[in-house]
Amino acid sequence: MPTITIDNQNYEFEGRPRLLQFCLDNGVDLPHFCYHPSMSAPANCRQCLVDVGMPQMNRETRESNLDDDGNPIIQFMPKLQTSCSMDMTDGMVVKTHCSSDAVVRAQKDTLEFLLINHPLDCPICDQAGHCPLQNQAYKHGPESSRFEFQKVHKPKHVDLGPNVVLDAERCINCTRCIRFTSEISKSNQLTIIERGVKNYPMTPPGIEFDDPYSMNVIDICPVGALTSKEHRFGARVWEMSKTASISTVGSKGSNCYYWVKDNQIMKVTPRTNMSVNEYWLSDEERLDCDRFNKNRPTGPTVENAEVSWEMAYKAASDCLTGIDGSRALFVGSAYATVEDNYLLTKLATAVGAPTPVYLAHVEEGHADGWLKTDDRAPNSQGCERLGLHAADVKELKARITGGEVDVLYVLEDDIVAAGVCTAKQLKKVKVILHHYHTTNQTLPAADVALPAAMAVETVGSFVNGDLRAQRLRPAKSIAGVNRTLSMEIGKCRADAHGTPFDKWYNESNLVNCQPGWVSIPEIASRLGHEMQYKGPRNIMAELAESDSGFTGATYEAMGEFGVSLEPIGVTA
Amino acid sequence: METQSKAGDWRAFKRVLMPPVKDLHKLEVYEEHEGYAALREVLTTDKWDPTSVTNEMKKSGLKGRGGAGFPTGLKWSFMPPVDPDIPRFLCCNGDESEPGTFKDRQLMEYNPHLVLEGMLIAAYAMSIKTAFLYIRGEFADWITLMEGELEKAYAKGYVGQDIMGSGFSCEIVIHKGAGAYICGEESSLMESLEGKRAYPRIKPPFPAQKGVWGYPTTINNVESLACAPLIIRNGGDWYAGIGAEAHPGPVLYGISGHVNRPGVYEYPTGMLITDLIYEVAGGMRGGKKLKALIPGGSSTPILRADMIEGLTMDANSLRDAGSMMGTSGMLIMDEDTDIVAWLRRITHFYHHESCGQCTPCREGTGWLENIVTRIDEGEGNFRDLDLLLDLCTQMEGRTVCALADAAAWPVRYTIDRFRDEFEARCRPSLIPSGGVLENA
Ligand SMILES: Cc1cc2nc3c(=O)[nH]c(=O)nc-3n(C[C@H](O)[C@H](O)[C@H](O)COP(=O)(O)O)c2cc1C
Ligand code: SF4
Ligand code: SF4
Ligand code: FES
Repeated sequence: MPTITIDNQNYEFEGRPRLLQFCLDNGVDLPHFCYHPSMSAPANCRQCLVDVGMPQMNRETRESNLDDDGNPIIQFMPKLQTSCSMDMTDGMVVKTHCSSDAVVRAQKDTLEFLLINHPLDCPICDQAGHCPLQNQAYKHGPESSRFEFQKVHKPKHVDLGPNVVLDAERCINCTRCIRFTSEISKSNQLTIIERGVKNYPMTPPGIEFDDPYSMNVIDICPVGALTSKEHRFGARVWEMSKTASISTVGSKGSNCYYWVKDNQIMKVTPRTNMSVNEYWLSDEERLDCDRFNKNRPTGPTVENAEVSWEMAYKAASDCLTGIDGSRALFVGSAYATVEDNYLLTKLATAVGAPTPVYLAHVEEGHADGWLKTDDRAPNSQGCERLGLHAADVKELKARITGGEVDVLYVLEDDIVAAGVCTAKQLKKVKVILHHYHTTNQTLPAADVALPAAMAVETVGSFVNGDLRAQRLRPAKSIAGVNRTLSMEIGKCRADAHGTPFDKWYNESNLVNCQPGWVSIPEIASRLGHEMQYKGPRNIMAELAESDSGFTGATYEAMGEFGVSLEPIGVTA
Repeated sequence: METQSKAGDWRAFKRVLMPPVKDLHKLEVYEEHEGYAALREVLTTDKWDPTSVTNEMKKSGLKGRGGAGFPTGLKWSFMPPVDPDIPRFLCCNGDESEPGTFKDRQLMEYNPHLVLEGMLIAAYAMSIKTAFLYIRGEFADWITLMEGELEKAYAKGYVGQDIMGSGFSCEIVIHKGAGAYICGEESSLMESLEGKRAYPRIKPPFPAQKGVWGYPTTINNVESLACAPLIIRNGGDWYAGIGAEAHPGPVLYGISGHVNRPGVYEYPTGMLITDLIYEVAGGMRGGKKLKALIPGGSSTPILRADMIEGLTMDANSLRDAGSMMGTSGMLIMDEDTDIVAWLRRITHFYHHESCGQCTPCREGTGWLENIVTRIDEGEGNFRDLDLLLDLCTQMEGRTVCALADAAAWPVRYTIDRFRDEFEARCRPSLIPSGGVLENA
């Protein structure tokens, strides 16, 4: 196998990897700005320079010349080379800043240049704290500047489009944003204008940067030149904790991070998963914050009066006691986790009701073949695999308005808003509702309303449209103590920000809600049906064992990036 | 002194690129003077095939006249084998914008069909069916002129389909430059041709591998290509016998500055610089003394008057003297020249023309101008000189294209060779040049 020597250490490699990527993959931390693994390498920032040598070849024998000790003589190239654009070849010898003074000097020099016209307004910059320029300047840059002139001035706070704001002075001209729109999103909405040190990215005349993926340029920008109009100045990065989870605005299940400050979702950023969303998120996935923070209920209600959870569970179980199961209608939810829908089916069975249905949330024409999908709910496939099927809205309507339903149990959905019936038409029906928002239009008709934990507050699994089972992790805390949630928060976040054991812990914005895997067993047990689970992990383990639709989908297997499930019931 | 000239009996030299023929730019006149004869010979006689044309170019020893002096025949031989499904392109580089350089413009004005004929011969040698002539955008009149002459050549069947019934076809497209010095750098010329921003590309891949629209491409300077018909007509050996042995041929010397008769002069390579100044260009204006000169465009290192005794204009001798042939656009400066002010103007040019793609060039060119300006205005410090040299080190060899070198060299060599004049403008520094980087 071909080998390469980097800082006196030998590595084997296959194919023709790019030197910079190979170094990064092997723990050699080469500073760089313009390189991004998904895009072409223009090698323009010049930060990744290294010293590259090749064994000296004997022209006749095509073998390398040896020195007196029998080692190949290495001929170093006259100039330092950009590792991002360098294809590796067998026998190559590389010196990075770890073993070459010339490379140390070059990295320092480039950083000095990058900083002379940079505004250095880090104290008010959103990027500060996770800024490649800041980090690399600390690690590899000069201690001070020798520049004694006016910095170049360029436009500031320019709205490039609905979601992205430019501060051209901070731009280091790496062209990542330009290449994103030309090579990845293909909208070609950005270009560099002006020339030389006056350069900055801009939209062509008359064009708005309304690319549905525009906000990706914000995270690939190695400085704070591109910021989110929504999140700008919202929180410093060190005031937030981030949790690896998945986006829930569609059935793609893009992997993401939820950023939380004071138990509020501040922003959503992509988490690399090469099998799902690669490095990207659509703007709609990113802007999915407000619904987690706003219009959240303050606690369970019975007949629209706030009560304790105890009383609410009691009231719910009363509604389900002594009923004619065939006249009970259970509606699961494509917004709820596999675990919660599974428990709901068990509850339905326990009271003799038919298998629940769920409401499809399909918006024809929304999909773009990339991350946006027609299915606007995250877990339709999970429901299908549990044997829940999309309800025929007309038939449902006929049953309810025709007086065929005595008890209606709705898990984390809104049947009034879905157009099944009006709240008035539910007057004679006992309605139990797990809801996310006070704006839920079924809420006025609910006899018992149980605030439900949302995707960012719970533990559970979704199956995306491509049949990939993935885990949700709690990004923010809910009111009350829940050991499973606290442990998960502790496990999935290095900073553990938000748990009661953490110095950052604060009580603000805690929503008084419960995950389905807490509330459904509570109701079941009051009906005499114990659901003995230690938590969602066990529920999923049971499903993975017992249901062929979920074979292999344990929490351990899903890990950070999910697992692909076998197609079921597919007829060729 | 005369004996050291490598140009032989240069006074008897008969101009070939721009021969003394009235109205040579007119197609009829050009035809009367062997115009398109070389092309006809190449296309219609058995004597030539693409390989033999390329070999003849190699034999001639022609080194590119665009600045880098790369052997033209060798460059042509880098084109990959012909694949009928893959287009190939030729670009004739007429973006001429280097300060002190104005010979391609003259050649296009004076002998446009020689350029077109050269392009066609090159296209034949490399089996290219589309050739672009990229002319500097500011040369509006010359673009009009070339377009008119090209049309006439088309009408006569010298360009286009089945040229002279030979079965060889080649279209020539004139492209108006995008108004930046950087468009003349070969890889950004290709980007510009493609309608993109003229950002130079990293090499490899080289143009012969991936050029215009990703296809094999060769780029040559106007004057380089204009030599092709002459080499075919008279033979590679004839060409190789003109001027300096290792860097032969007739060359257009663009002489400007403080001489009595500035202009473009065609003579063999290897001319003594003193001959060029005192004989060809009529001597120093007003009888002043020579102070300095740049031999081949603003980026070639400056030479002090005391460095040019016996020095000839060819790659080897200029390299030994610490400079380069470049574009052979000579800028002559007399004893009254304020060298600091001159360098200020040069640094301004490179600052203005850096494309801004790479960090050292984008930031460095501006910083250089800042400091030189400060020195010129009497506000500089001694330590600024060391800082300037340090910045040159930080730029040289660390960028995508050679513009950063072109910007750094004038600074490095002008300070190096005229340090006393800079020091005379500077105040002694209390603080040494920011020591931060020194012990790195
Ligand atoms: C910044 C820069 C500007 C250049 N401008 C020109 C130009 O205007 N005309 C030209 O022929 N070559 C120019 N060159 C050189 C070209 O890149 C290329 O080497 C040349 O066109 C090749 O032609 P030749 O081999 O016939 O000399 C420039 C190079 C650089 C780095
Ligand atoms: S705005 Fe950011 S991503 Fe775009 S070129 Fe500038 S530094 Fe690079
Ligand atoms: S060296 Fe200068 S001109 Fe050349 S690519 Fe880099 S920034 Fe542009
Ligand atoms: S990362 Fe290699 S030059 Fe920018």
